[in-house]
Formats: sequence, C-alpha cells, structure tokens
Amino acid sequence: MKKLLSVSVLIFLMVFAAACSSGGDKEASGSGDEGEGSSWTPENSIEIVAPSGAGGGWDTTARMAAKMFGETGIIEQDIGVVNKPGGGGAVGWAYIKERNSPYNLFVSSPPILLVPLNGQSQYGHEDFTPISNLIADYGAFAVKADAKWDNLNELFEDMKKDPSSITVVGASSPGSMDHIQFVKIAKAAGVDITKIKYVSDQDGGALTSLLNGSVDVYSTGIAETVEQVKAGKIKVLGITAEERLEGDVISDFQTAKEQGIDASFVNWRGFFGPPDMDEAALKFYEEKFKALSESSEFAEIRNKYGWNEMYMNSQEYKEFLDKEKADIKGLLEELGLAK
Amino acid sequence: MDVFQGLAQGFQVALSLDGILFVLIGVSVGTVIGMIPGLGPITAIAVMIPITYGMDPAIALLLMAGVYYGAAYGGAASSILLNAPGVSEAVATTFDGYPMAKQGKAGKALAVAAIGSFVGGTISVVFLTFFAPLLSKVAVSFGPPEYFALMLLGLTAIASLSEGSTIKALISGVIGLMIATIGIDAQTGTLRFTFGSPHLMEGIDFLVIALGLFALAEVTSLILGRKNKMDDMHNVGSLRLTKEEYKEMGPTMGRQSVLGFLVGVLPGAGGTISSFLGYISEKKLSKKPEEFGKGSIKGVAAPETANNAANNGAFVPLLSLGIPGSGTTAVMLGALIVLGIQPGPLLMTDHPDVFWGVIASMYIGNVFLLILNLPLIPYLSRILLVPRPLLISLVIVFCVIGVYAISFSTFDLYLLLAFGIIGYLMRLLNFPAAPLLLAFILGGMMEQAFRQSLTISNGSLSIFVTSPIAGTMLLLAILSFIVPLIKNRKAAGKENIDKSA
Amino acid sequence: MFGTTNRKISICLIAVGIFYLILSFRLPAYAYVPIDSDMIPIGLGFLLLILAVFLFFTNDQKTNDNDERIPKKELPIVLGVVGFIVCYIFFLEILGFILVTVLFLFFCSMFLGYKKHVVNGIVSLAVPILIYLLFDSFLQVQLPTGILPF
Repeated sequence: MKKLLSVSVLIFLMVFAAACSSGGDKEASGSGDEGEGSSWTPENSIEIVAPSGAGGGWDTTARMAAKMFGETGIIEQDIGVVNKPGGGGAVGWAYIKERNSPYNLFVSSPPILLVPLNGQSQYGHEDFTPISNLIADYGAFAVKADAKWDNLNELFEDMKKDPSSITVVGASSPGSMDHIQFVKIAKAAGVDITKIKYVSDQDGGALTSLLNGSVDVYSTGIAETVEQVKAGKIKVLGITAEERLEGDVISDFQTAKEQGIDASFVNWRGFFGPPDMDEAALKFYEEKFKALSESSEFAEIRNKYGWNEMYMNSQEYKEFLDKEKADIKGLLEELGLAK
Repeated sequence: MDVFQGLAQGFQVALSLDGILFVLIGVSVGTVIGMIPGLGPITAIAVMIPITYGMDPAIALLLMAGVYYGAAYGGAASSILLNAPGVSEAVATTFDGYPMAKQGKAGKALAVAAIGSFVGGTISVVFLTFFAPLLSKVAVSFGPPEYFALMLLGLTAIASLSEGSTIKALISGVIGLMIATIGIDAQTGTLRFTFGSPHLMEGIDFLVIALGLFALAEVTSLILGRKNKMDDMHNVGSLRLTKEEYKEMGPTMGRQSVLGFLVGVLPGAGGTISSFLGYISEKKLSKKPEEFGKGSIKGVAAPETANNAANNGAFVPLLSLGIPGSGTTAVMLGALIVLGIQPGPLLMTDHPDVFWGVIASMYIGNVFLLILNLPLIPYLSRILLVPRPLLISLVIVFCVIGVYAISFSTFDLYLLLAFGIIGYLMRLLNFPAAPLLLAFILGGMMEQAFRQSLTISNGSLSIFVTSPIAGTMLLLAILSFIVPLIKNRKAAGKENIDKSA
Repeated sequence: MFGTTNRKISICLIAVGIFYLILSFRLPAYAYVPIDSDMIPIGLGFLLLILAVFLFFTNDQKTNDNDERIPKKELPIVLGVVGFIVCYIFFLEILGFILVTVLFLFFCSMFLGYKKHVVNGIVSLAVPILIYLLFDSFLQVQLPTGILPF
C-alpha cells in the first residue's frame, strides 16, 4: 500500500513538475554568461537527446543520467530526454548539429565511430564536443555449453584451419559493434578476418540460433550471457575487457588478454555537446558529470545495470576516441568496409 | 515444484492488495496506450522503468505485463472505429472490424474483439501455466531456415487476401517486399534505396504504411460521403450478440487461442503474424469465405483472439529461458534486470514468486480487462456520431501523432501522406492493400532468414530441406499456394464451358 | 476501350520495376556472404516486370462495386484537405504541436462544412491540449513545443 502511495505521489509530482517547468522560457538564448567571462550556468531546461527509440541502451543511459542529476540536485535545471531515432544515430546527430545550443546534449557510444566509417553518417565524433565518458560495457563470445572449445585459442585454431565451418552471430550488421569486437580480437589472434562467417540477426533470434545449434559463436555483451551461463546452457570463451571483472559468474570469464591475445574492446558510453561548445559551458558540464559519476546514487545505478565505471574528462575522452577510431578504421579497411 | 502449488503461490502475490491494484493500473494504462497510435507498449514500459524502481519485482513485472496485454485489447478500437491500426497486431482486425463499424455495428465489433481477446488471453494463460517449461524446447527449435519457411508460409496468404484479381494481389505483395528492402541491409551493412537520407536508413516504419494505406486513404471516402448519413447508426453502441453469433465465433476463438499461442512462443514471430495467420486460416476453414472482408464476426474474432494468445505465448521464452521474443518483452527483460532479477532459465526455481505471480496475475488481468472494456464500448462507439467534418480532421490528427510519436521527424509525416495517396490510388484501381502490408511485415525478416541460412550452409540450398520443421512448412507453403490456383483454374474453366454452352 | 486501364497501370509498374532494377544493379558488392544484398531486390524487380506483363494482357475488371472516383466538383475539396495536411506537417515543428493542431482542427473542419463554430472551437482547443499533456507529462514523450512557451 505504501508503495502504491509513493508511486501515485511520484506520478503526481511528475505531472506537477512538468506543468511548472513548462512555465519557463525554453528558447535557447545562447550562453548565460553576462560579462562574467569564465562561469556559465544554464538558465533554461536542458535536453538530452537519445538518438534512438525508447528502451535501448542510449535511451536508458540518458534517462538514468537525467533522473540522477535531478534527484541528487547536481544540476538544478530540468533535464528532459528526447528520442531522435533513425539512421543508427545519424538523425539525432544531425539534429544536434543543427540546433548547436549548449542546452542540447546527447548520449553516445562506439556507433558514433562506426557509423560514419561505414559511410552511413556525414557526422562523426570530431563534429561534436566530447564532454565526459561515464560507463563501459564489454563484449563476450559465447558458445553452447557442450561445444568442443573451452577457450578462445581453441576456437581460433579451428577457425584458422577451416573458417567455413564456424558461423558467428551478432545482433548488428557487419561493420558495427558485435561484428567489430569479434574481428578485433580474432585479428590479434592471427585469424584471417576476411574469412570469418558472420550473420546478423536483428529480430532477437541470435541467442536462440546459438542454443539450437544453427550457429556456433555468439558475439554479444557480457550481461546477455550471465543467466544462460548460470543455467549451464552456454559458456563464455572470452571477454573483451582489459582485466578480469567482478561479479557473480562474471569473475569466472577469462579476458582475451589473459589468453595471450593482445586486444580489447570497450563499449563505452558518454555524453557529447554541440560542435565547438563554449569553453565555460563545457567546463560546467564536465564538472557536473564528474560529480554524477562519483555520486553514490549513480554508483547504485551502475551496479543495478551491471555497468562499469569509466570516467573520462573532455580532453581524455577526445584522445581516447581519436585512437579508437584509428584502430577501427584499420580493421574496416582490411575488410574493405571503410567508406 | 508442483504446478498447483506454484499457482497457489502466484495467486498469493497477485491477489494481494498491491497485486490487484497494480494489475488494475497496468491493464488500464495498457488499454489507453493501445488506443493511442504510435505509442506501443514498448514506450509505456520504458517510461515505467524509473517508476518501478524499488518496487517488489513480482509486482513490477505484473504491472508491466498488464500494460503489455492490455495494449492488445485497446489496439482494436482504432482499427474498428477509424480503420486506423495503431499497432501492427491490429491490422488484420481492420479487415472486418471497419466494415462492421460502417454498417452501424461498431459496438458489436468491439464486443467481439473484447471477448476474443479475453478468450485468447485466458486459454493461453492456461497453456502457459501447464506447458511453459515443456514448450521452451519449441521456442528454441527455430533457427534461420525454419523462420524462413514460416514467413514463406505466411506469405502464401497473399493469394487468399485478394478480392478479385489474384495478379493484382501478387503485384501488391511484390511492392510490399520491395518496400521492405529499403534501409541498411543487416547481412552486409549495405545501404539500399535510401537515396542518401538518414531517415530511410532504418527502413520505413510499419505504422507509416499502415496508417497511410488504411486510415488516410479512407479519409477520401469519408470526405466524399460527408454529407450522406451513415447507415443506421442509432444502434451503434449496442454490444448485444445473439446466441447464433456466440455459436459462430466459439470454435474460431478456441482454435485461434491455440494457434496464436503456439506462434507467439516462437521468438520474433509474435502477435502480428499470428493475427494474419488466424484471419487467413479461419477464412479457409469457413463455409462462407465470401463473408470475410465484408463485416464477418469471425473475421474480427480470429485476429483478436490470436494476437492476445500470442502475447501470452511470448512469455514462454521470456520466463522459462530469459529470451525475449519481441521488442516489448526485451524491454521488460531490461526492466527486470534493474529490479535485481535476472530473467533466465533459473527464474522459475530462483524466483518462483515472480514466475508464478505474473502467470496468476494474467488470469485476473484478463477478467479486469473484460469488465473494463465492455462498459466502455458504447462511449467509444459514439466517436462515429461525431459530425463528419470534425471526425475527418480528428482522424488526420490521430495519424499524424501516431507517426510523429515513433519517428519524431516530419520526414515520416510526408511519407505518411504519400502512402495515403498511394492507398487511394490502389483503391481506385482495385489493388488490395492488405497483401502489400503483409508482405512488408514478413518480407524483411524473411529475406534476412533466407540469407542467414545460406551463409551458415556456405551457399547450399539443402539447409532448407534437411530440417524436418523447415521442410514440412515449405511443403505446406507450396501446397497452399498451388492448390487454390488449380481450384481457380478449374472453376474458371467450368465457367467458360458454361458460357460457351 | 478494352483493357486500357490495366495497360496504363502495367506500363507504370514496368517503369517502377526498371527503376528499382537499375538501383539494385548499382548496389555495391560485399565479398563475405554467399548471397549479396542485391540478389533479392533483383529477383523482386524481375518478378514485378513479369507480373506487370501479365497484367498488361489481363482484361479490366468490370465489377467495380465501390466507386472511389472523385467527382469533379469534389476535387477541390479533397485537394484542399491535402493542402491542409501539408501545411500541418510543414508548420508542426515550427509553430509547435498545440498551436498548429488547434489551427488545423478548427479550419479543416470548417473547410469541410462544419458550421457550429463554438463546438468546433472547444474541441479544437481541448483535444490538442489533452493530448499534449498526456504525452508530455504522463508518458514523457516530448511533442514539438515551437513558439509557445510550453
């Protein structure tokens, strides 16, 4: 009963807050610094764009960050989350570029490197201002529990011998995340990456296909594998993190590095601002995201979702992204996919 | 644990004060969401995740499940009243639901839909209760070749969806398949037919086509007929059904509960395909197939029963394997993770209260939905009494919001208008729109499954016949395509002889 | 005039098919799959051509029971509504959802011959505001705000 009450109060408050906040003037009036020079504080409500539909990784991260900014009081202005789906992110990026306002931020992850490299967006991370990275996820390569391989080296040995006998499945198309994370590790292990058989299943059938033996290897995120491993249906041959991770079952997953394959892949997630963001505004957001990342409330969220902490400030973030993009570009060029 | 013990534990959760209240909230929100175009249960559940934060996981899941199956009840309303399917599961409902509404039997059509949803929902929960662990094997038995065969079997329905010219129906279907090829190709990452526009990269959304071809095209007839009185409308809200009508739709609902549930169990197949298969199979079984498409009660009962049964079927892989079978169950899975519950093969043993609580809540939820929906019918039906000019403007606004709420871009709105004009032209020239839509829905997945299969088999077509499931379904598909053709040929031949005689 | 309508449609469809085929043949190749992204489209293109040829030689159906033809004097009305829709879409993000929907509902209904201006006004105001509140507050889906401050 208490819960019901708190929920209804919450709903009421949400309605109320939304009604009140709408009283304010939303028009972007440029930066709010009036002669003070270095300090900037937002005067209007802030909008975080999730360049995807509701319910996905970007949407969740954006909504959780917005919610925690409000609950902890780190940012006092209202923060709304807007979905701009389309083009694997390209529609949202174009929107931010066009708005070009310090009140419009967006959440992103490796696709902002991959999508432009695949020739599917005219904008890449260079066209925006990286503010802060917050979290990281890692990839996992799973096979059926009764498969003959027990580690990545055994799998890759077989792939070198007869590449046509092994099919890899992922949820995204070639040149995007699930594919590239596998290719990156396989290349480091000496596999001819142009011979890898990869199928993409975007209708949610990838795990099913692995379980019924239609395909041999599933390239996915760690979180997707945990329960199936616990139940003894699949086993994880390796993960793409730099070091062992903590957590029930997860701590048993060997990294590729431990198995002597010198490669890793991070599914980072962070926030970006418009192109050439005003120095003072950038500084403001950078500090706020740092505070968010360090708050115990956000730590709890990370915990719940199984995200790993990976804070980077604007400068570190930019350098990291440039390096990641160069790496991926090399892989895509070898595959002949780079445009 | 024994099924009955489990169910008893489940009812303890579902019949607690919190349980009852949240089921009620869930199904009410679901009904409303279902009636609004563009807002699928996915959005509603995604929005609920922060609200459920900190709630008892069992209660949270039964709330979300309520939204999910409640939306399937609500979805029928706009299909029947405005010819505007707001979710893909409700497309097949327009075929006979809207003709019924035009004949002044909107109340009746809505009642059939509600009862069908109730029967489908309830029978399938019984299956879910007793056979979930058993059926989980079925859920993982489908790989790419089997999916290809299933989609092809669904496509053969095109011929039976045609009224009049088969060739025109086939052309419609081919165009639907062509539209489905627009966007990034999943197997190669190649951009196909996007003309450089990022808005087309993820393909055209189903709702744009459905609302354009069905609802906007219908606006033209509404405009032309705006001065005429509709057929007898004073009984529009009456939901009384005769004994004969109950008898007529009883077997339909029984059959479609089973078929819909089985299709729903397969991840990725889901409510849309089951509703089309339900409609077509009933048309084929019917003694009077010519009534279909002109306001047949069975034509409303079949898809509405099947899609609700399929929604519950989707819980089999979700609850017993941790595999989401549809976009909505995927979001639900995400929400459960936030609540500290990892849905997976161990859910039933680790968290029996969640597993059985949800199943038990579905029994209650379906009863709530029936009680909630039936009294609403007379009020909903009255929308047809709104003066025509106003109704026309409202239908247009309805379509625009529906499309905008999923894409947030005006590009898709212009596309909607274009499909409205195409839809009108198709009507003018006697091309049926249903095959186009069916082909579009099945086409994307079918092409991908076909090419996945051939990548796996290194290009050998034998993969489609070595699997007994795929082989059988392909045979069925070929038969159901050829047999009607031969029948038609024979019938036509006879007619010619009669004429020449 | 025997078969003319079907023939005209057939010619249009053949044009569509050829256009689609040209685009299909120009799709870039991808080396690592047995069936490339252009195969199915090429197949569909030819299938459409074949069906269109069949249609060319099929007689027109005469059983056109529900005539959807627009009478000459109704044409301006229908085109007018199409014009209204285009304006609606064009101004949606510029003026904002509420304002443009209010204007659309009111004037489109009036244009179609609705005379009760008071009822029209009330409905035109109430519906968009209710929808906006439902989306914005309850569902947290933002509709375009435009020039209005909310």
